[in-house]
Amino acid sequence: MRFPSGKVFTKDTLVNLLFVLPSLVLVGYFVYVLIGWNVVVSLTDWKGLAPSYNIVGFGQYVTLFQDPEFLTSLTNNIILILLFVPSSLALGLFLAILLDSKVRGEGVFRNIYLLPFSLSYVITATLWLWMYNPKEGVINTLLRAIGLGSLQLGWTTDPNIALVCVVLAIVWQFSGYTMLIFSAGIKSIPESQIMAAEVDGAKGLDLYRRVVIPQLKTPALSAFVVLMIFALKVFDFIYVLTGGGPAGYATYVVPLLMFRNTFRMDQYANGAAMATLLFLLALVIVIPYLYLSSRREKD
Amino acid sequence: MFLLPLWTDITTSFKSLNDLINTVPVQPPLSPTIEPLIAAFNIMKRPLLNSLTFTVAATILSCLLGSINGYALTKIKFRGSNTIFLLFSIGIFLPYQAVLVPLVLTLSRLGLFNSLVGLILTHTIYGITITTLLFRNFYGLIPDSLIMAAKTDGAGTWTIYRRIILPLSLLPFVVAAVFQFTSIWNDFLFGVTLARGSEAMPASVALANLKGTTEFNWNVQMAGALWYALPILIIYLLLGKYLIRGYMAGAIKG
Repeated sequence: MRFPSGKVFTKDTLVNLLFVLPSLVLVGYFVYVLIGWNVVVSLTDWKGLAPSYNIVGFGQYVTLFQDPEFLTSLTNNIILILLFVPSSLALGLFLAILLDSKVRGEGVFRNIYLLPFSLSYVITATLWLWMYNPKEGVINTLLRAIGLGSLQLGWTTDPNIALVCVVLAIVWQFSGYTMLIFSAGIKSIPESQIMAAEVDGAKGLDLYRRVVIPQLKTPALSAFVVLMIFALKVFDFIYVLTGGGPAGYATYVVPLLMFRNTFRMDQYANGAAMATLLFLLALVIVIPYLYLSSRREKD
Repeated sequence: MFLLPLWTDITTSFKSLNDLINTVPVQPPLSPTIEPLIAAFNIMKRPLLNSLTFTVAATILSCLLGSINGYALTKIKFRGSNTIFLLFSIGIFLPYQAVLVPLVLTLSRLGLFNSLVGLILTHTIYGITITTLLFRNFYGLIPDSLIMAAKTDGAGTWTIYRRIILPLSLLPFVVAAVFQFTSIWNDFLFGVTLARGSEAMPASVALANLKGTTEFNWNVQMAGALWYALPILIIYLLLGKYLIRGYMAGAIKG
C-alpha cells in the first residue's frame, strides 16, 4: 500500500495502528454507524415494536414541524437556552471575580460552589422537588415561618413560572462550573499586566472591566459551548422535576418528547427524527468551536 | 443560601413522620432517627450495587483504552492520527439521543439489553472519547526525547508504553478515573433506556422512581437521594481537586 507521498505502509505503522484499532472500531460503530442508522430510521414509517425499514423520505420531519407538541417543546427548549446560558455565564463570572478579590478561604468557597455540579441531575432535581413543593416544600414553609406567607407561589406547579423555576435550579447547579472556568482564566492573566493597569490608575471593578474581562474570551467560549450543549439535550433534570408539566407541556423540551414518543409510545421513526435534529443542532455549536480550538493549538 | 437544598436533604433524611409534620424542612429533626435511611437503603440496595458494579468496570476499561489511545495519538503519530482525534472529540459532545434507538436495537441483538454487561459496554465506549482527550493532553507534556532514547535502545512501541509511559501515568489515571466514575455513576439517560425496570436497574433510575409514589414520604425520598449521592460526596471530599482538573481539561482544551 502506497501513500501519495511515496511512504510505504510499513509493518511498524500497522502495529501502531493496532493500538487505536479496538477503540476506533468501537467508537466508529457506536458513534458514527449508529448516528447514520438513526438517520435511516428517521426516514422510515416505523411505528410500533417491530422495526420497519420502509423508507418514506422526510415525512417525519414535515410532521414534526406541524405537531403542536413538538413546536411547544422546541419553543421551551429555546427559551430555556436563552435564559439559562447567559445567566449561568454572568453568575459564574460574578462568583469568579468575587473569589479572586477575596483571597482568604478561596478553596473552601470554590469547593462549595462546585459541589452541586458534581451531583447527578436526578439528585439535584429531587432536592429541588422538595424545595419547590407548594404545600410542604422548603421555600413556601420558610416563607410562612418568617411571616411572608403572602409571597408563596406555586413554583413548578404554576404553568406560568414553571420553566423559570427549572432554569433557576439548573443555574444553581452550573454556576460553580462557570465560576471554575472563569477563575482559571483570571489566574492565567500575567501579574505584570494587572500591575501595569494598576499603575495607570485602574482600580477595583474598573480593573476587571478594562483588563480582566476582555481576556476571558477563551474560557467564556468553552463554557458557552458546554452550557449550550447541556441546555440542548437537557433531559434527566426535567424528567424528574416536572416530567414536562404542569398543564401538560409547560416545561416539555425536545429530548423529553423524543424519549416519550420513542420509548413510551413506540413511535421510533418520529423519535429518530427528533434525535437527528438534536444532533445537527449540536454539530452547529461544536464544529466551529473544535475548528477554532484546533487552530489555537497550532498557533 | 446556596447550600439550602443540600442542607434540607440532610435534615429531612433524619426526620420521623412526626418531625416531618411538626417541623419546617430547614429545621433539624427534633428527635433524629435513621429509619428513613434504612427504609431507603432497603429499596435502593440492589440498584446501588448495580451502579457500583457497572461504574467501576466501565471506569477501569475506559481509562485503560483512553491511555492507550492517548499514547498512540501523541507519541506514535501516524497518518490520520489527527483525524482520529477529531472523530473522538466530536463524540465528547454527542447528544446521546442521536444514537439511542439503534443502540437499543444493537444491544438487544447482542442479548445485552437490560443487563449490566450492556451498561458496562455502553459507558466504556462513550467514555473512551473523553478519556482519550484527557490522556492525550497529559502525554503531550512528556518529552519526545524520552521516547527516542528508548527507541535507540531497541525498545518496541508496546515496551515503551509499559516501561516508560505507564509508570508516569498515575496522575492522568486518577484524574480520568475520578471523572469517569462521577459521570457514569450520575448517568440517567442510558440507565432509563437500557435497563429500566430490570434486574440491572441503576440507582439513578431507582431514585427517580421514588418520586410520586405515595407510599414513600419525603423523608424516605430525601434519604434515597443521600444514599445515591454518598459515593460522589466521598470522592468530592477526598479527590475533589482531581475531579476539578477533569472538568477543566474537558472544557478548556476541548
